[in-house]
Amino acid sequence: MSEHQTVGIVMIEDDEGHARLIEKNIRRAGISNAIRHFTDGGTALDFLFNAPDGPALNGPALILLDLNLPDMSGTDILVRIKAEGSPLRRTPVVVLTTTDDKIEIQRCYDLGCNVYITKPVNYESFATAIRQLGLFLSVIQVPEVEG
Amino acid sequence: MPQTRIKLVANNRPIGRVLLACMVLGFASLIAAGVAAAWLTDRNQDHVRWVNHTYEVELAIANASIAIEQGETPRRGYLITRAPVYLDTYLTNRARQPATLARVGRLTADNPRQRANYAKLVALVADLQRQRDRTVTLVREGRGREAIAVFFAETDAKRMMAIRRLATQMADEERRLLKIRDADQASSVRAFYLVLGIAGLILLIVAILSVTTVMRYTRDLTRSRDSLNTLNETLEEQVAERTADLSLANDEIQRFAYIVSHDLRSPLVNVMGFTAELAATVTPLEELLERAETTAPEIVTEEARLAVREDLPEAVGFIRTSTQKMDRLINAILKLSREGRRVIAPEPLDIAEIVRNICGSMQHIIDDRGASVSVEGTIPALTSDRLAIEQILSNLIENATKYLKPGRPGVITVSGHEERGRVLLSVADNGRGIDTRDHARVFDLFRRSGAQDQPGEGIGLAHVRALAYRLGGTIDLTSELGEGATFRLNLPKTLTVQDQKA
Repeated sequence: MSEHQTVGIVMIEDDEGHARLIEKNIRRAGISNAIRHFTDGGTALDFLFNAPDGPALNGPALILLDLNLPDMSGTDILVRIKAEGSPLRRTPVVVLTTTDDKIEIQRCYDLGCNVYITKPVNYESFATAIRQLGLFLSVIQVPEVEG
Repeated sequence: MPQTRIKLVANNRPIGRVLLACMVLGFASLIAAGVAAAWLTDRNQDHVRWVNHTYEVELAIANASIAIEQGETPRRGYLITRAPVYLDTYLTNRARQPATLARVGRLTADNPRQRANYAKLVALVADLQRQRDRTVTLVREGRGREAIAVFFAETDAKRMMAIRRLATQMADEERRLLKIRDADQASSVRAFYLVLGIAGLILLIVAILSVTTVMRYTRDLTRSRDSLNTLNETLEEQVAERTADLSLANDEIQRFAYIVSHDLRSPLVNVMGFTAELAATVTPLEELLERAETTAPEIVTEEARLAVREDLPEAVGFIRTSTQKMDRLINAILKLSREGRRVIAPEPLDIAEIVRNICGSMQHIIDDRGASVSVEGTIPALTSDRLAIEQILSNLIENATKYLKPGRPGVITVSGHEERGRVLLSVADNGRGIDTRDHARVFDLFRRSGAQDQPGEGIGLAHVRALAYRLGGTIDLTSELGEGATFRLNLPKTLTVQDQKA
């Protein structure tokens, strides 16, 4: 990421353990951006669109999204983010979930997700995948959020 | 789903019983009527005999009376004329008289009242006879006047009257008896008609009962036949409905397995992840311990050393192996559920070619284990899903090479033949065999048989069976412990896909 420290990472993941493991492995890849973690869709959406320090009002972000959330489906959040007129529609969304259902994957890409990653069951692969995601995050360009 | 129950005619048992009872009752009443008829005939004969007897008695009494009356005329003739012709007649008559009287006595011997009458009659007649004999004897001795005098003095007429009365009485008595017997006869006839009437009534009831039973039975039969016909007509429909239900249920199970395995995985990733984190902490701790041992040995307790060097690595190791095993099991379930969701694509297959490919890909394993795989005879052509068949056969061949009998080189034979539109594939080995008790069990998920000396989770055969079912087939095995095993796969020659789902 070109502008270090300014791009916040928003992680929407209901499993605390997964969230912790993801964060650790991202850190191991050398990413030091701030990570905001939400365990449910409602508060996450509120933060994304309404919080004064949230991405919609305060600079670029990157979203890590789990599809299985307690209060809503991750695809609903994806729809909101990528909707026409949304300030966040250009914000990169990485779907990071356990589902490897073909239809689900197609749907997410149709809705505008930028990367779809299936969480590997094997921890070693999981850790590797997250580290590689971290490396990937360190090189991608994130657009500015529209006013 | 319409549940058409056929009311089977299996309840013909009571019907049979009713019919049997009717028949028995009918025959019984017929027999009763016959017996009554025989009894009546017997009674009739008896009655006729008694009627005859009565007439005989009457006749005998009349004869005796006539004989007595006739005895008077020649006596009087002799008394007046003294002509010997009257005497002769008188004597002849007199000689016949006791026989006629005795006959009456014989015939009425059975009746005490008649016997009394008879005794009185005999006495009167004897008295009369004595009187007559006296007058006749007087005439014969020539004392005619004296005889006439006796004749006039005698009370003959009164005695004669008594004899007549007695005879009439006896005849009346017989008439009375006849009347009683007539009444008896009439009551017998009435009884007979009563028996006949009852028998007839029973027969009528039995007939009605039988007819209604048979009619009901026939109606039941017709009804079951109709419902059978209806059932037959809707059978196709019902089968289709059931199939739809079943595939729905199957889908549900597939989804369930998929969701469960997914949701089970989520916490498992945590367990494995944090175990790895925990394991990673062992190295710095150990370094710390080493440094402490060299710089300040007095602060290193035995407990701390054990905890870092043994307890921690051991615990982490157990957690790892267990979670890895759990991961494999969950993967197996997931694999099975995925297999159920996979789209089946039937194509013409050359089984011998597939077996050769499988052997090629696992040649080093086969060689390592000291086995040989061969295809016996020609295997009939088969249209089925390539991937599924490959997986089934490679699983079976892999198993065959895996469970050999120690000290016996493995010989694995794949063969096949066709039978009524089905293809039967066999994979036979000379390995350690499977205990008969475990024949059904080995196809269950996570179940294995025999010594657990080979790696594996008990997934292969479950997978094979699921695939076989998916291909519209079945799988079974014949085996004796220590004598090798033969797995037989029964598949449709041409697989047609009905419920194609994406």
